Amino acid sequence: MQPSPQTISLLLADARLPSGGHAQSSGVEPALLAGMPVTDVPAFLRARARTTGMVDAGTAVLARHAALDCLPAAPIERAWAARTPSRAIRDASKDLGRGLLRLAGQIWSDVRSSLADLDDSPPRPLVLGAIAAHTGMDAESLVRLTVYDDIACAVAALLKLEPGDPAHGVAMVLEACASIEPRVAAVSSITAAHQIPAAGAPQAEAWAEAHALTTRRLFRA
Amino acid sequence: MPDITPAMRALRLGVAGPVGTGKSSLIATVCRSLADELRLGVITNDIYTDEDARFLRSAGVLEPERIRAVETGACPHTAIRDDITTNLLAAEDLERDFAPLDVVLIESGGDNLTATFSPALVDAQIFVLDVAGGGDVARKGGPGIGRADLLVVNKTDLAPYVGVDVPQMVADASAAREGRAVLALSRSDAASVAALRAWVLSVLDSHRSGTHVPQDPGPMAPHFHADEEHPDGGFVHSHGKSEDAHHSKAPHDEHVHSHTGI
Repeated sequence: MQPSPQTISLLLADARLPSGGHAQSSGVEPALLAGMPVTDVPAFLRARARTTGMVDAGTAVLARHAALDCLPAAPIERAWAARTPSRAIRDASKDLGRGLLRLAGQIWSDVRSSLADLDDSPPRPLVLGAIAAHTGMDAESLVRLTVYDDIACAVAALLKLEPGDPAHGVAMVLEACASIEPRVAAVSSITAAHQIPAAGAPQAEAWAEAHALTTRRLFRA
Repeated sequence: MPDITPAMRALRLGVAGPVGTGKSSLIATVCRSLADELRLGVITNDIYTDEDARFLRSAGVLEPERIRAVETGACPHTAIRDDITTNLLAAEDLERDFAPLDVVLIESGGDNLTATFSPALVDAQIFVLDVAGGGDVARKGGPGIGRADLLVVNKTDLAPYVGVDVPQMVADASAAREGRAVLALSRSDAASVAALRAWVLSVLDSHRSGTHVPQDPGPMAPHFHADEEHPDGGFVHSHGKSEDAHHSKAPHDEHVHSHTGI
């Protein structure tokens, strides 16, 4: 008996999944340390979902196709890296991907072979895409998962950085995720690397670069 | 990685205990007494800064590159027990970059009495208390005090100043631990440092011969998280599965290495 793809989606979206996510803040700690007011966090999350979120979602969709069709993953990783100019953000994504692959490789052995042409730290969306391919998850669920996981991580970190009502955090997650709904169908249907969205977030990238150099931080990035 | 059996890689030794009991200092002491004969690495789990890593680097007991800090997302007990990914990856990197290593010491962020390492992260663990925290702490028990591989009662040189009877505190701890090893330590007491050194070497021998079985001191007891927004000033929560599941998984009776001689 195989678990339903929907169960896999729930599993991967669960903050309790032991894959290293608790040490990440999806750019929130870099933003707050740089002086962004906490009242701007909802707008920050919407921007993140629209920019790096869409880059990651498109990358995950293509990685799913590549795993299903036994195509190499390296060109997809290069396309993702070209759209993720901050080394700090790339490193954070590769840390998350490595932790996720370490876990996924023990449960779905084919996931590792789908990413065999990459090193042992593939970016998070490539690992998510490969897992989706091997667990029967559809592309739209994968897009929503990729964005939700990133935004929920941000809000969990926010509650540790700026104590507040956790219910407000939940509302922020839902709002940011809802904001990308008009884009889900288009991103889910891409089939080539040049179609991966390429929206950048230069200010957030600069904050991430500065954060990587500080010695006072709770989160990796 | 999953295809490397524990005995083939470095011994991973966890050091846990409340804030300020001397975990970093104990690691520095271990490094100082063993760096000439063993290849060592250290991972620190700091909460707000990389201060522990910097302390150890500045102590000059190891090459600075062999001491690495990982972030814990403000939750040090999660990083050593519920989601050990960050520490596992750091340990694998350290073992790869400085291969072969004999021992990787993993320092927990200072936490409360109930934080212990997952047996999937470390092969053995030391729980550190100090006399200045009060002579009655050992009697209070908890998974780390009760079932860590070694309980250290640290800073015994301070006992006269804080009115603690060290032999009594050790006796209380031994009773709470049903005879498992307890070591009264002061970094200025050469005999106690030698005993710590001998203990690490004996665990390393057991690890290499495959006779050492990592044990699980147990899940965290329900504990308090401060939260100024919360009406009660915080909230109580717990980690881990049922006590039954844990006890059937890693009974401490299977713990085979000898602690005699300390």
